[in-house]
Amino acid sequence: MDDLLEAPTNTFIRIAEVWVPEGDRLVLATGTYDGLEGFGAASARATFAKGEGLPGKAWAEARPIVLRTLDDSTFHRAKAAAASGLTAAVAIPVFAEDVLLAILVVLFADAAHVGAIEVWEDSANSLVLSDGYYGTAEEFERVSKATTFGHGQGLPGGVWASETPILMRDLGASYGFLRSESAGKAGLKTGLGLPIPTPGDKIYVLTLLSAPGTPIAHRFEIWDARAERVGPEKKALRIDGLCEREGFLAPKENPPLDALSVTAWQGPIGRVLGSGLPHVQVGGAGLPAGYTQMVALPIHHENGLAYVVAWYL
Amino acid sequence: MQKLVVIGAGMASGRMLEHLLDAAPDAFEVTLFNAEPRGNYNRIMLSPVLSGEKTFEEIVTHDDVWYAANSVITRFGESVTAIDTARKIVRSEKGETPYDKLVIATGSAPFIIPLPGHNLPGVVAYRDLEDTNAMIEASARPGAHAVIIGGGLLGLEAAAGLRLRGMEVTVLHISGHLMERQLDETAGYLLQKDLEKRGIRVITRANTKSIEGSGKVERVLLDDGTELKADIVCMAAGIRPAVALGHAAGLDMGRAIKVDAQMRTSDPDIFAVGECVEFAGNLFGLVAPLYDQAKVLAKTLLDEDDTFVVRELSTKLKVTGCDLFSAGDFAEGPTREDIVFRDPARGIYKRLVIEEDRLIGAVMYGDTADSNWFFGLIKDGTDVEEMRETLIFGPAFQGGGGAAADPLAAVAALPADAEICGCNGVCKGDILKAVEGGAHSLETVRAQTKASASCGTCAGLVEQVLAVSLGDSFEMPTAKPICACCDLTHEDVRVLIKTKELKSQPAVWQELGWKTPNGCHVCRPAVNFYLLADWPLEYRDDPQSRLVNERNHANIQKDGTYSVMPRMWGGMTTPDELIAIAEAARKYDAAVKVTGGQRIDLLGIKKEDLPAIWADLNDAGMVSGHAYTKGLRTVKTCVGSDWCRFGTQDSTGLGIKLEKRLWGSWTPHKVKLGVSGCPRNCAEATCKDVGIICVDSGYQVGVAGAAGMDVKETERLVDVASEEEAIEWTVAFVQLYREHAKYLDRPYKWVAKVGLDWVKDVLADESRRKSLVERFDLSQTVYQKDPWAERAAPAEARKFQPLADFTQEAAE
Repeated sequence: MDDLLEAPTNTFIRIAEVWVPEGDRLVLATGTYDGLEGFGAASARATFAKGEGLPGKAWAEARPIVLRTLDDSTFHRAKAAAASGLTAAVAIPVFAEDVLLAILVVLFADAAHVGAIEVWEDSANSLVLSDGYYGTAEEFERVSKATTFGHGQGLPGGVWASETPILMRDLGASYGFLRSESAGKAGLKTGLGLPIPTPGDKIYVLTLLSAPGTPIAHRFEIWDARAERVGPEKKALRIDGLCEREGFLAPKENPPLDALSVTAWQGPIGRVLGSGLPHVQVGGAGLPAGYTQMVALPIHHENGLAYVVAWYL
Repeated sequence: MQKLVVIGAGMASGRMLEHLLDAAPDAFEVTLFNAEPRGNYNRIMLSPVLSGEKTFEEIVTHDDVWYAANSVITRFGESVTAIDTARKIVRSEKGETPYDKLVIATGSAPFIIPLPGHNLPGVVAYRDLEDTNAMIEASARPGAHAVIIGGGLLGLEAAAGLRLRGMEVTVLHISGHLMERQLDETAGYLLQKDLEKRGIRVITRANTKSIEGSGKVERVLLDDGTELKADIVCMAAGIRPAVALGHAAGLDMGRAIKVDAQMRTSDPDIFAVGECVEFAGNLFGLVAPLYDQAKVLAKTLLDEDDTFVVRELSTKLKVTGCDLFSAGDFAEGPTREDIVFRDPARGIYKRLVIEEDRLIGAVMYGDTADSNWFFGLIKDGTDVEEMRETLIFGPAFQGGGGAAADPLAAVAALPADAEICGCNGVCKGDILKAVEGGAHSLETVRAQTKASASCGTCAGLVEQVLAVSLGDSFEMPTAKPICACCDLTHEDVRVLIKTKELKSQPAVWQELGWKTPNGCHVCRPAVNFYLLADWPLEYRDDPQSRLVNERNHANIQKDGTYSVMPRMWGGMTTPDELIAIAEAARKYDAAVKVTGGQRIDLLGIKKEDLPAIWADLNDAGMVSGHAYTKGLRTVKTCVGSDWCRFGTQDSTGLGIKLEKRLWGSWTPHKVKLGVSGCPRNCAEATCKDVGIICVDSGYQVGVAGAAGMDVKETERLVDVASEEEAIEWTVAFVQLYREHAKYLDRPYKWVAKVGLDWVKDVLADESRRKSLVERFDLSQTVYQKDPWAERAAPAEARKFQPLADFTQEAAE
């Protein structure tokens, strides 16, 4: 918890971009650049065909892709990234069943930051590490590579079994036996786990693990937009959240009648509900007090938009 | 300023203090005792703390700053040991504290089942932060196992939390389904399925025998011999009001401390609130009424008027991703009507219970969007007659008409690898490919894939796959469903039970989209048979789904008495058996009739005498002749080569062997066999379900004969040389009939549908024939039991006494 309640510090995530398909190429829809507008300018000039660059690769392979280094061979905008101090990136495809809606690209700065981005995939009825970026948490990386999670086990297994985003506060004590100790040593304490639905049978779970001092973000929210929960109207209920300024954002009642609700096109979360697309925003109306940037990622199930996960910088 | 002492810093007293201090911050000097070394926290949110989804700080409702700001004197970690009502003081470890008004809010204590080993280290309850931390600590060991005793709200939340922590978790629940106080069978089934998806093992009908370990808990033993590894055992078997202080103080007690509607106890200066109170005969375990009590008590303390009333409750299980809701009363009753909606593909189940045009209960799983609206209708007693037709679809559909349940939902939900045609190994995906390739009729699909090309039983399902794929452009032939409870035929249900591996009645009702909560007198006996035939080890026969004769194990006669017929193996008996039968007939005043099946029927037995006559006949070595079952009845034989000069083989001996192999087995309809020793056919074998004619060269096995409403000669299945082969083919035929026939189709009707050629082809395949025999024998390990012996025991026999009213238990 402490990592999220301390005074705001530099976050691990620096840039977020939304790429959308236009014809047979991906074009930049929006981006937040946090003072790194040079990189933003490079992005605005770029487009990617399927299989091309990081966004195109996530589209072609229909899976989240982590780039641990941003060099010329894998990252078209490597020079701009180097100039901006960006060191790693993850591309998250947003599919509604078989249709690609967008690619969310998140870029990280400063390898000295402790934090981890992981992609887990199913293999022989377990989740195994498919890809990951660990910053300086090398021991944790080694242990993670040797760890598997069953249905319902740990953050990745819990997300897999429940098909629900989960925000875990107490990672060190619970994150799988071997990993818990090394997570504790690495200072990783808070974790956000997201199911990433893709066409085909493969299961992907993305985890963002946060450390005190270099939190992934300063505020997290999970919104439930499933019709089974909210009814036929397009709306969402905030089912969990953490904020450095406001504290805990989860409902306090049981049943959770006090859950905050937004409808389609009402504020930034409502915009995701209405469009079904990821949304990134710098400044402007609707952000919680004290925040200047937000990234909201929709998660679509076969029956429509199911969840929106948002983080704020 | 008056002195207010509060014993217990739980959720009820915390809420009471909030109301009190908001309304009149200076009315009382408040002293708050708590046995736990901490103040008020949201106890019901310990589950997400256990799972790691919340921190303890998040569930603290009042911290030190709050107590200081409100001038509450806190005495945490200090137990109150006594109340002296005469001197108006409470005693605690650190001395006496005077009060003007006293509030007892001692809550409840977990019920620890006094099993052998319950005191071992590692056995915990699930009540407070210490219990939670003990479980978190246990979960930190690699490969650790947890056993949760109790499949109620708390137990399941503990199970989910520990699983998320990485433990191997087993839940033991004594009832037939989880959360039986809040959920009906179907919702319990869906919840179990959801938990099993998370890697949690659930054992229902589990009787825990003992907890064992050397110096600490190591394993849990069940009555049936199951042994479960356990590094920690969590008892979540319920709570008991913690009322020792109130009792010792001489307050009026019921099951807890009695209070009036102002939360006042029998002492005018002592009040009680929360789980430790009893009001109008009610105890309280959920938080909503506790909060209501807190509000009333705050007003009472301030001499304001308010009255506590018991209100309807709803339940929310705090397991991430499990959406369930239940409220009100959903027991079945003669004046109650159910509305059921199921969406098998999305795992959705909704059931509303209506009585006298009022919604009185609701259970929902998978879709709880409208739960608050339904809860409001229940609480308000709204007249729902006008919206009866669309009620289940929720508020959005009122006035606009609702979407009808999709009759094809069960088939639409099948995955591509689900086998549709068992004979030819054709999966749904194969059929879809054929449809994509232009096959748009049953005939073309059959030609391309061979689906439904053999026994044809799956033709209805193939058509449903076509309808799902082609929509309106495919016209479904009208097939007669089992009954009004569902849209599927017997054949569809049989195939889907196998394909979807449905192993319980609730699984069938839910996954196949039944429109009623749990079937009717038509479908339940059929589904019960299909399940026990396909899953003999996993499924437990349900007596309530049986016809009355099968439930009573005797045929009811026109005068209300019963007939009793002992088995006579192959029609053979002995003088001792005849003497026992004669004595029984005399003792119970029975009429005696020799039957066409070569047995002796004792008629006119009173129901209450059934266990006694069964016991008498059991004592003479006889077992039930199952003259009342859809199962093996008789094997009629002639005297055969032992006695008859024309006899070619030992027909009596073969008949006895067949009867001893087949008795006790349940079949779609009754099954009668005959074995004749020569073609003169004295045993009339050629009109039996299976009739064997012995000839010099061996045995002619015929099947599908009839001599009832229809008369039909058997058709030759096979000629075999040896007795062993004759038995093997007969057993395999009976098992094939058990696995494929529609319930209440005699073999001749079934063979007419699937074709004798298909039956021959299957049985001629040696490996399939032997597999059928293996599956039959496996089923017999469960079902070849004498029902008389089981029911002659005193406890069972009581059910046959006149006071027992079987009409209330009837499934039909």
